[in-house]
Amino acid sequence: MAATEERLRKLVDDNLEIEGRAPGSPLDLERNISDAGVSSPDIVAFWKLVNEEFGVDISAEQFAELLTPAALIAYLDAA
Amino acid sequence: MYVDLTADADREAEAAVWLDEEERGRWAAYPYSGPQRQFLLCRAALRATLCEQVGCANEALGFETSEHGKPSARVGGAEAPISFNVSHSGRHGLIAFAPDGLLGVDVEELAGRRNLDLLMDGVLGENERREIDSKEGDEQLRSFFRLWTMKEALLKAYGKGLLVDATTFEIPPVVRGGAPRGQLELPQLPGVTLQVEGIGGEDFAAALAREVVPEAGGEPAESR
Repeated sequence: MAATEERLRKLVDDNLEIEGRAPGSPLDLERNISDAGVSSPDIVAFWKLVNEEFGVDISAEQFAELLTPAALIAYLDAA
Repeated sequence: MYVDLTADADREAEAAVWLDEEERGRWAAYPYSGPQRQFLLCRAALRATLCEQVGCANEALGFETSEHGKPSARVGGAEAPISFNVSHSGRHGLIAFAPDGLLGVDVEELAGRRNLDLLMDGVLGENERREIDSKEGDEQLRSFFRLWTMKEALLKAYGKGLLVDATTFEIPPVVRGGAPRGQLELPQLPGVTLQVEGIGGEDFAAALAREVVPEAGGEPAESR
């Protein structure tokens, strides 16, 4: 789980542009990224990047159910 | 309705007065300053305008959120007779109002993106992708976000937003060719005609989607 979390954090640091987020700051595992105010382009980019980085094929509709880092990590670790 | 979301301590202090207790808690809990400011200024503008349109006191106004996150207004506990939808991006906020029917709005700041190719893969249909690929630079960015905002506005009218597969439908060719508005049905919402209209500005793309209400002679209800 820690390794998956670290890879997700790096994906966010390297690719998303969230005003007020300092690169390297930890992910709030239980917080829905949409509720945290992450923009729709960043969420769509994050969805596509997760598929590329982890070699999975999560659909848009599936990803909508995995918007907390904790849920996404659990899904990826089980994949 | 346009909302200026530029950082401004005085305007933010004035806006905070409009929020109720639950909204203040939500505002304080935002982990990032940009989304926090966007929420505050848009929610205050929404409250002020709804109070004016509906003719109620701010204290009587409340909000309810659908399963997919789309809010609606309530006055004194009853459903308010008005539809609205909110979008924000960077320094730009937009709020659309209509008397009834499905309604969605989207705005995107026209800034360069590191992942433009990925975003195109995520939302464009085959014909749309080919047309956008034939453009370059600023023209490509503007054309892409014109389509993006139209698709997101349509899916927000549907009630879900972009985490529905937006590649399953395309914006009508006449609109992709430059017409300001057009009509279509979403595969996710058969039997309902939506009108989509580009309403962007110099440094932002934006779109409004509204249900075509047949009783009004095929024309969508006017937004306010």
